[in-house]
Amino acid sequence: MSFGSFIERLAHLLPVLFGISVIVFVMTLLTPGDPVQIMLGDQHVTDELEQALRRDMGLDLPPQERFLKFLGNAIQGNFGLSFYHRQPVVDVIASRLPATIELSLVALLFALAVAIPLGVFAAVKKNSILDRIATVTSLFGVSLPGFWFGILLILFFAVNLRWLPVSGRAGFTSEVEPITHLLLLDSLLRGRLDAFWDALRHIILPAITLGLPVASILMRVTRASMLDVLDRDYITFAQAKGLTKTQVLFKHALKNALIPTVTVAALQTGALLGGNMVVETVFGWPGLGRLVVESIFVRNYPLIQAAVMLYAFTYVTLNFIADILYTILNPKVRL
Amino acid sequence: MNFTRNIMVLGIALALTAPGVPQASELRVGFSADALTLDPANHRNRETETIIRNMFDGIVTRDADMNVVSQLAESWTAIDPTTYEFKLRSGITFHNGSAMTADDIKFSIDRLTQENAMGGQTSPRQSLLGPVSGVEVIDDLTFRILLASPWPILPAMLPFQEMVSKAHVEAVGDAAMADSVNGTGPFKLVEWRKGQSVIMERYDGYYGGSTDIEPVGNACVERAIFQVIPENASRVAALLAGEVHIIDKLPSHMIAQVEANPDTKVMAVNGTRTTFMAMNNQSGPFSDIRVRHAMAHALDRQLIVDKILNGNASLTNGILSPDAFGKNENLPAYEYDVAKAKALLTEAGYPDGIDVTLDVDGANKEIAEAIAAVAAEAGFRIGVVVGEASTLSSRFRTKGEPIDGQMWLTSWGNGSLDPVGIFVPTHRSNDRGNSSGYANPELDALLDAANIETDRAKRAKLYSDAEAIVNRDLPKIYLWVAQGLKGVSTKEAGWRPSSDRRINLHDACVN
Amino acid sequence: MTMAATNKHSLAAESIFRRNVRNFLSSKLSVFFLSIMIGFMLMAVFAPWIAPHDPNKPDLFRRLMPPVWLEGGDWYFPLGCDALGRDILSRIIYGSRISIFIGVVVILIATTIGVLAGLAAGYLRGWLDASFSRLVDILLGFPYLIFAIALIAMTGPGLHNIILAMVYREWVMPFRVVRGETLATSGSEYIEAAKAIGASRKNIMLREILPNILSPVLVVSTVRMAHVIILEASLSFLGLGVQPPTASWGSMVADGRSFMLGEWWLATFPGIAILLLVLSINVVSQGLRDAFDPRFHD
Repeated sequence: MSFGSFIERLAHLLPVLFGISVIVFVMTLLTPGDPVQIMLGDQHVTDELEQALRRDMGLDLPPQERFLKFLGNAIQGNFGLSFYHRQPVVDVIASRLPATIELSLVALLFALAVAIPLGVFAAVKKNSILDRIATVTSLFGVSLPGFWFGILLILFFAVNLRWLPVSGRAGFTSEVEPITHLLLLDSLLRGRLDAFWDALRHIILPAITLGLPVASILMRVTRASMLDVLDRDYITFAQAKGLTKTQVLFKHALKNALIPTVTVAALQTGALLGGNMVVETVFGWPGLGRLVVESIFVRNYPLIQAAVMLYAFTYVTLNFIADILYTILNPKVRL
Repeated sequence: MNFTRNIMVLGIALALTAPGVPQASELRVGFSADALTLDPANHRNRETETIIRNMFDGIVTRDADMNVVSQLAESWTAIDPTTYEFKLRSGITFHNGSAMTADDIKFSIDRLTQENAMGGQTSPRQSLLGPVSGVEVIDDLTFRILLASPWPILPAMLPFQEMVSKAHVEAVGDAAMADSVNGTGPFKLVEWRKGQSVIMERYDGYYGGSTDIEPVGNACVERAIFQVIPENASRVAALLAGEVHIIDKLPSHMIAQVEANPDTKVMAVNGTRTTFMAMNNQSGPFSDIRVRHAMAHALDRQLIVDKILNGNASLTNGILSPDAFGKNENLPAYEYDVAKAKALLTEAGYPDGIDVTLDVDGANKEIAEAIAAVAAEAGFRIGVVVGEASTLSSRFRTKGEPIDGQMWLTSWGNGSLDPVGIFVPTHRSNDRGNSSGYANPELDALLDAANIETDRAKRAKLYSDAEAIVNRDLPKIYLWVAQGLKGVSTKEAGWRPSSDRRINLHDACVN
Repeated sequence: MTMAATNKHSLAAESIFRRNVRNFLSSKLSVFFLSIMIGFMLMAVFAPWIAPHDPNKPDLFRRLMPPVWLEGGDWYFPLGCDALGRDILSRIIYGSRISIFIGVVVILIATTIGVLAGLAAGYLRGWLDASFSRLVDILLGFPYLIFAIALIAMTGPGLHNIILAMVYREWVMPFRVVRGETLATSGSEYIEAAKAIGASRKNIMLREILPNILSPVLVVSTVRMAHVIILEASLSFLGLGVQPPTASWGSMVADGRSFMLGEWWLATFPGIAILLLVLSINVVSQGLRDAFDPRFHD
């Protein structure tokens, strides 16, 4: 890909980001609900306090000024103070980000670990009973409402069997000094197997609930692309050369078949990284999804705006990377 | 086969490695929400205050029966209607060992009441201190709170505030107060895992706590943890699995299960939040008092309480809860009487019944539907419309704007149990919680007089009279005050729930 | 190309279609799940005749009645009653109407918009394509739930607003598929020929390109329909679902989720209904893809 088109692609991102910032700002103007009143709730309120809070939140300025202020600060990475936490939005989001990142990565790993073998298997044994079973089983993943499945898992594994904890990210018996803030990684880096086991037990159920739909999608993509690759001329050629079926499979077919899988996985990661409010609420997982949806219901504008920009940036970046990946990897396919 | 055996081994391994059962002398609370901040002055959120209250003490506090009792201050008197003098106990220390003096009190209250006092921000709790204008330090253990105008409810409102250390705030700065805790409470902060848990451990230098609440001394448990579990089913599951000892907001339909489990029980306490249906008195069918009375007669409130709330609520015929100051005990009830309701409707011009809309937020949807089911018999064809709480609030409660809607099932809390916090906002003309558009100058006069009346008996009478008026005019259908339900493990002893939904863990022990 | 030649081309397309349909029907799995789908649709159409009770009739004295095989159950209400004493079986039967209605309407509208936009963008190119692509990027980059909640807060609750909140995202997938296919085929010979004989751009789009994209659009639509039905359940979880007393499977599961520990039947039966319908749609769509994809044939 030429440098020129690379820059061109990059330049396309800016209007998208700007468009999104306008939309979210307009949304905060048009959606009914007053953040000051919501915050003050039921008890004693005086007019002076209301005015003071409005000033604190910057809501006394006219909309155009607020938007320009927001843009100017956003470019410098300052998204203001969260109305509710009354701390910088960036800090609030940063404190919840590691949990979401960790859960997304584990869910993705789970999805890949399940989807790739299943997909390859189904493609190799196409139209056999096993293919049918694998296909139907994999479709379960996108046929279940997440919160229903999640609560079922809790009921079975946590309440009935007591094998796994009900909620949360970690227990309270093992403290680990954070390095990356990803508990599984940190506990391994510090050589604390007890902490690793504890974190693993907590992440299993939410990761399965979150990863199952992703596994379904990836399985179907893998199967389809595997079927496609197995059909190609160079496979027949390799077989003619005398390589066994397994050798053909692993040396030639798999590598190429996984390219679409990887591309789709990259895009799915974007969706996962946004956090999933449903899974986080059911499992008490301290992630970003729950934080953002709660913020919407209390009209915490600065946090909503920052979160939207974060998601947009992530989505746009991942798309960009996926595009680049595909262009780089493509020549290999043409062999 | 190998596969199955491996799964079994894995399962056994999982089961054997510490199934999350709490360690000895560690108490865990399954809590429905996280704290927004750990700065006692910088929030306006009940769940946040509940957590903070275990690490920061206040000048006074409430016991489990909602009486205002001493805490940091051992006694107080009103020198005159605008001056209250307090005497602090001696020997109170902050978690870092430094002594507390009246200077810290003055600093804390100034921080709460002065504009822009917190690093350029105003404390959202300012209005909870009403006309407090300042604090005068007499000596290290004596101070006076000064009021701009008489405020008889000062002692009732002080429990909402917690005191901070002046030196600490000046050392770390206002912004850092969000996670840096140096209080006088029975527990000190170990770690705040945002969104997940607040981990505290016993402060062994605790001055002992209120002498009016037994036992006095250090906290019973070594560690106390608030674990955030927002989903109802998950929270109850955690209690049933033995992972937590106390849970708040136990849904009434799960009472049977928690009671049936041999390791758990239910504790109920009178609530302070009045549930009612605000009717649009300004326009529409409910501007006619006969229609409002008909609605009241069309509802079998006790049936709904029995079926939906498991009986865990007290009916109320006025806005005040049964435990509130000034409650009028003799308010006539609008008995469930379908014939009377129909007659009133016919008289008002609706012989074939009437179609009305009931707005409600998601949390109360079930009750709204039950109301609609019951009222149908009398001719009220109620369409329940579920909306978002913040949207409904702006439709019914925007000052100066006409009310957009007919009926709204909602509630109003009254943690101080004093009518000023509930009566005035919900019924005074044009006040911020007046979602019925009710405007009665006679009532306004009574409420205004009660605001500044210092004689307790006279003040109570004013409120009783006021309740009689609203009971007669019925701008809202007063439904009930729901009890607070908590699920508690049988391993826990010593803790009692209180009506203001506080969870003070000082007395809670775990065996 | 002569008229006869164009006709032969369309005839060839037709028999390919018929062969694909036969391929699809030869898979027993696909046929099985297709019949489940049809079963649900029949259930939706004949609901008033099949359902034993009025789904919206509450009775507080029957609140949380268990299914017939548990203690306290009653053959009159075989699957038990919900929190307001309404018959769960009847609500599931009537609920199929809402779930299928939402699924079909959202996909119909979204697909129509997507197809027309995709055709225009892929064939006409230029600034139209560029602006559509920007719009799509913005729409996809914006987190879905936030937009849905804000939209419903602004426009109010109600079935049509939920449909709107879902259509705004769903048109993108068919748009992309159609645009891709249009871009791929618009250089082909018979398009060139049609242009040569003076066919209008609209005619070319509708009569030459459109029939060729029907297969992939059909496959995508069925997949998305399943997704929309699940999405409705998630919106109900947030309190943005259909208004009471209407029964939709999604809102039944959402309302019943806090009863899961004790009165599990409230959420489990509608959950199974969602699972069966959505699974059927997904298997059928998988079967369609397998049957219609030319790469899988000899």
